[in-house]
Amino acid sequence: MNPVHSTRPRLIGLLATAAIIFAACSSAASTTEPSAAAPTPASSAAAASPTEAIATPIPDGLLDKILKAGTIVVSTDPNYAPQSFVQPDGSYDGFDIAVAEEIGKRLGVTVKYETPGWDTITAGSWGGRWDISVGSMTITVPRRGVLDFSPAYYFTPAQMTATTDSGITSIAELAGKTVCLGSATTYEDWIKGTLESESLGPVAVPPADIKLQTLPTDQDCAQAIAAGRKDAVGFLTSSTTVDQAIKNGTPIVKIGEPVFTEQLAVSIDKSGPDDTDFLARLKTIIEEMHADGTLSALSLKWFDEDLTVPPTS
Amino acid sequence: MTVQAATGGTAVPPIVLEIEASQRRRGSIFRMVFILTWIVVLAAVGVFLIVTVGVNTGFLQEWLPFIVGGVYFTLLISVISIFIAVGLAIFGALGRLSTNPIFNGLASLYVSVVRGTPLLVQILFIFLALPAAGIVIDAVPTGIIALSFNYGAYLTEVFRAGIQAVPGGQVEAARAIGLPEREVMRRIVLPQAFRIVTPAVGNDFIAMTKDTALISVIGVQELLWRAQAAGRPTGQAFQTIIVAAIIYWCLTLVLSYFQARLEKRMAAGDRVR
Repeated sequence: MNPVHSTRPRLIGLLATAAIIFAACSSAASTTEPSAAAPTPASSAAAASPTEAIATPIPDGLLDKILKAGTIVVSTDPNYAPQSFVQPDGSYDGFDIAVAEEIGKRLGVTVKYETPGWDTITAGSWGGRWDISVGSMTITVPRRGVLDFSPAYYFTPAQMTATTDSGITSIAELAGKTVCLGSATTYEDWIKGTLESESLGPVAVPPADIKLQTLPTDQDCAQAIAAGRKDAVGFLTSSTTVDQAIKNGTPIVKIGEPVFTEQLAVSIDKSGPDDTDFLARLKTIIEEMHADGTLSALSLKWFDEDLTVPPTS
Repeated sequence: MTVQAATGGTAVPPIVLEIEASQRRRGSIFRMVFILTWIVVLAAVGVFLIVTVGVNTGFLQEWLPFIVGGVYFTLLISVISIFIAVGLAIFGALGRLSTNPIFNGLASLYVSVVRGTPLLVQILFIFLALPAAGIVIDAVPTGIIALSFNYGAYLTEVFRAGIQAVPGGQVEAARAIGLPEREVMRRIVLPQAFRIVTPAVGNDFIAMTKDTALISVIGVQELLWRAQAAGRPTGQAFQTIIVAAIIYWCLTLVLSYFQARLEKRMAAGDRVR
């Protein structure tokens, strides 16, 4: 290298500039893989939805933004089979994904997905990075502080389980023991006694003195137990996830009746653009999906039972 | 190198040939045993993993392309970040060595704060806290900015040490021939400092490719994210984590090889011909 006519810094500068330009272009495109297993055809907003009373959307509101873009961006955490999981080709599938696709179809827009972590979604302040969350999110009072909720699209019981080799057969025996949960879930709240869910039906009282093992997502608990870790003797999550885990061979058994039943709904960031008219549209869409049996059919397909009927308390 | 040149004759003393041959033999024995050790240990670890975790070839065949696709993001983010980090490091190092108290103060503060907070916290801060101030940055640029800033701080110290390691005689000679201060730095000191810091920068680049795994928390679908997304729902989390680890390791092997070649080239001026 000739120290006087040094080409190296110039070359480095050129490469760096090229790299930055490349990054800008690629970050303008989505960071995620394109949409779900059953992509909806792109249709113009006016053509698709027959029930739409065409009132002008609030300018610069959420509905306006979505219709103008022709796309709705949905956040999902694809670590939650059978609600949401990823396929080998990078597309997503699951009950929540099917519901999101259906909502997109009825709005007349295509669906795009973003995959932030679950606690990022539940915290609000999405910064406009995605429009709605269709992720089996439970309606809770604290979450209402930062998010707006649609009517519930299905209901799941929260099911307590115990590892097979712990020999525990009732919830009361869990007093003083450790239970594993996903972080920022309502199951964590219930164990801590801070659950302010708008749940339907009775809410059981958690046993005293229970210790928590909080992992990033519910699935990590199933994995840890399957691996033979003995940190926790129990695992609390939705009954659908429990069924999936047992199907996968995780050595757990259901114990006791469901401790509470939650309402799961679509959520929207309060700090985003004005969502009043979008919420109204969403409410109509979900009520229609309940009424015409779409949600029941999807529930039967993914959960082998119809969880879309509110439980009688 | 033989003694032919020294003696001026064509006959090489047999003792010299014997010594050279025995050195070569010891060199090859060393290499052979070295490689054998690697093979034995890796085979032992491999057998242990296969026995405890198991290898599900059907699953791997299905998911490997998806998981390996994450390497694209890993490399993209690492390459861009290391360039920006080096740029920041040069400024930071000059700042740390500067006689201007403002410049020096800012550079020292940058190094102290950024080295003093965890990278994960920095990533989350840029992604989650900045929107409150109205600055919304997408996931991939957030990762690049966080890594660049973080590694820039560490590399600042490396560059500062590299600059200070350039022999003082070089600076004196440069001044003696009348080069202005700025040119001394630009044409004499920095090029030599670059050569001194290359091993450390290469090292950090290789470390950075692993740190990109942290960006999975904000949803960038890089290697680790994909490995976990593939493994969790199907109950194959161990396999996929191990696969991800192996891929990271292969990446490191490749990058280390290129770093060794780069160092050899940069040291070309030192070798006796």
